[in-house]
Amino acid sequence: MKKKFSFLFVLILAVVFVMAACSGDTSGEDKEEKDTTEEKSNDEKGSDASSEEGQLTYAVDTAPEGLFVPGFAGSIIDSRINDLIHDSLISANENMEYTPHVAEWETEDNKVFTFKLKEGVKWHNGEELTMEDWQFAIEVLAHPDYDGPRFDYVKEIEGAEEFRKGDADTVKGFEVKDDYTAVITFNEAKVNNLENLWTNPMPKAELEDIPVADLSSAPEVRENSVGFGPFKVKEVVEGEYVSLERFDDYWQGEPKLSEVLIKVIDPSLTIGALQNGEIDFMEIRPDDVEELETLDHVRIEEQEGLGYSYIGFRFGHYDKENRTAVADYDKFKSKELRQAMFYALDRESLVDSYLNGKATIVNTPIPSVHWIVADESELTQYDYDPEKAKELLDKAGYKDVDGDGFVEDPDGEKFVVKFGHYAGPAAFEGRTQAIMQNWEDVGIKTELATGQLVEFNTYNEMKDNDDENLEVFFGAWSVGSDPDPSGLWHSTSEWNYGRWVNEESDKLLEEGLSEKSFEQDYRKQVYIDWQKLYNEELPGLPLWENLDLYGINNHIQGVTIDATGPREFHEWYIEK
Amino acid sequence: MISYTLRRLLGMIPLLILISIVVFSLAKLMPGDPFSGEIDPNNTSVEYIEEMRENLGYNDPIPVQYQRWVTNLAQGDLGKSTTYKKPVMDVILERLPNTIFLAITSLIITYILAFTLGMYSGRKPYTLGDNVIATFNYGGIAIPQYIIAIVAIYFFSFKLGWFPSNGSITPGLEQGTWEFWMDRIHHVVLPAMTLGLFSTASYTQFLRNDIVQNSQMDYVRSARARGTSESAIYNKHILRNSIIPLVTFFGFDLATLIGGAIITETIFTYPGIGMLFINAIDTRDYAVVMSLTLLFSFLTLFGNLIADLLYGVVDPRIRY
Repeated sequence: MKKKFSFLFVLILAVVFVMAACSGDTSGEDKEEKDTTEEKSNDEKGSDASSEEGQLTYAVDTAPEGLFVPGFAGSIIDSRINDLIHDSLISANENMEYTPHVAEWETEDNKVFTFKLKEGVKWHNGEELTMEDWQFAIEVLAHPDYDGPRFDYVKEIEGAEEFRKGDADTVKGFEVKDDYTAVITFNEAKVNNLENLWTNPMPKAELEDIPVADLSSAPEVRENSVGFGPFKVKEVVEGEYVSLERFDDYWQGEPKLSEVLIKVIDPSLTIGALQNGEIDFMEIRPDDVEELETLDHVRIEEQEGLGYSYIGFRFGHYDKENRTAVADYDKFKSKELRQAMFYALDRESLVDSYLNGKATIVNTPIPSVHWIVADESELTQYDYDPEKAKELLDKAGYKDVDGDGFVEDPDGEKFVVKFGHYAGPAAFEGRTQAIMQNWEDVGIKTELATGQLVEFNTYNEMKDNDDENLEVFFGAWSVGSDPDPSGLWHSTSEWNYGRWVNEESDKLLEEGLSEKSFEQDYRKQVYIDWQKLYNEELPGLPLWENLDLYGINNHIQGVTIDATGPREFHEWYIEK
Repeated sequence: MISYTLRRLLGMIPLLILISIVVFSLAKLMPGDPFSGEIDPNNTSVEYIEEMRENLGYNDPIPVQYQRWVTNLAQGDLGKSTTYKKPVMDVILERLPNTIFLAITSLIITYILAFTLGMYSGRKPYTLGDNVIATFNYGGIAIPQYIIAIVAIYFFSFKLGWFPSNGSITPGLEQGTWEFWMDRIHHVVLPAMTLGLFSTASYTQFLRNDIVQNSQMDYVRSARARGTSESAIYNKHILRNSIIPLVTFFGFDLATLIGGAIITETIFTYPGIGMLFINAIDTRDYAVVMSLTLLFSFLTLFGNLIADLLYGVVDPRIRY
């Protein structure tokens, strides 16, 4: 009897755990809700900063994975921490154009690049930074035993593939001329070779004796990583905090802060911890903005980020064999239908109600910080206009034949749109309902795909496998500094989830990478033409650009934040 | 008793095999895998994801994957964490001391509070003090732990500033010093109280009821007739009897404390295995999830065994 009971108990335990797994996001949502109720009665300030002089407490809401050498780091939190410890040879300016930083470059043909390094740049261990360190990093990334996610950043270099297959002892395309000069030859002349090149050297003296296969578990990567950025590692306590101290010999000058403490806190503590001065700096969620705005000693900085949200339409499926999208789903073939669905959306009130107004409405899938972005004046503005939506539907043959208040398709059949959205914070539920209501208001019958918000991982799997249930789906992308959108919208891309096939679009996207596009103005024009095409065809409805939000204690000054995150840490300081 | 213990231990083997199958299938039934959330078109490529899936054997048939996992498990190899890129054993061992420290503190607080409150209530039933304690107890049983945690943080950390709201240690302290341990205790008290509140409440109520019941027994009446002092009756005669069922709870506590720590640790950002478990589920770190679920299951079985054995120890009438 007892045995049976215990088995049952264990079984239930196991089931409960896995159930908990399936609803990981919802528990986060619970926490947020509690958070707001908890803080509501909260109107005190208590601003005696507990942090010591010169120490910044930087909070993150997820535990780092602990890979503190770029090249091994995959998670965003690890990368954020690495930004403090490491520095890059080349950086991007506010328009996401590449600019010289520690190194400068020259090229005639976009195939062979000559890089020149600044002299006298020191690693944390006192060694001088040389081209050998860079070569070492490239060869680690191209090594057959390398288990990190960044091979893509070296594969365009001549000889990288051979090196990876074991057919060569070195990466042929990377030639070290002297300590400060290197010549990199790429496989072919491409306009975005530089954007897809790995520019973070690794400290060769520290790492060269460790087999590449063991690097990602080595203490030199996890506990006492050496970089040449403004702060060096003092202590790492896994899952809890990373403590950094000033690196006096930083090449851009001695950092003003003496210490940086990166601390993991549960997102439900964000407001309280910022309020009582326990933390100084944190990336926050739109839900927290309202509460934080009432605090006198905390400011919120907004930054146009690299992320945007969109609604995708299903046009077909992805042929995994031939790696290309096949357009065989005709329900949303009518351009007028898609345009009507865009006009029907009251985006302004969606942003106000569900994102606390912290998003910018756009009509192009290119983030506005990218230099190739088309001016909104060149694009059709799909502002909320239900009448126009109805007109367009009518024109395209979607008419209410049977008088039930909803349109039928041009053949007179019932027309029902299945809209999918993933689960997450509480606002997602309301947002989904509001979008569906917008469409129903212009006469398009809308159903929620699968009847509920879909758990995020399941949702991704459904998109990957072209699940029939997702006819129209909510999505979001966050892109990098390479402006080229073909990874998301070219017909051969796996991540073109709507499976949009359009010859003209493919042609333009390829043109943007062609030799003619070495001329920057020409390239920009090509992408503007592409955006115009997108804006007309609407394979997806670009809804809004998310703003990155940061809560910062007012005594932290000199802060620089750009679209890729917080920057220039050596200039941050604490005002007395 | 030894043969009984051995029989029970042997009986666990088929059960554990069955559990391993359940744990494995449920883990694999979770939507997605460690790479499914990682799509960032600029940082990684489909080829890389496919290659990693192939290398880790996620493309093999499920029975093959199960066989591989169990074979390794039998040899003591729990696998490698895909998130931390380290052996799972190391990852768990790093976090385990924190959780054990939390569990022990929580047990101590629970027992001290439960005994004091329970004895007081049992001795003076239906008084104002008893009713206040009962209200507290029913509150403790009824309110879910995550709410208690948030409320506790709000009052004791943010409003009063008595305890830190997160973490297990203040950075920069030297390990092993007096300050170091005081700081650890300072950090652990609030989560430990939250974690122990449920058992405190139920133990108190249990002890009280048992004492009230026992105080009407014949042996108490005869003790009173003999003129034994009231405090001796309660502290010796009754308490000894009432403690029996309570001691056996200890076995169940083992699993409950570590299981309950999942929620508490996450909210307090206390880096023990509970927080590790939640993170591992989020990132679909199969090896860690499966190992921890097995560990929890094993602790439950083991706790049950201890509970059964303790029956025999504290109550000589029970024979095996």
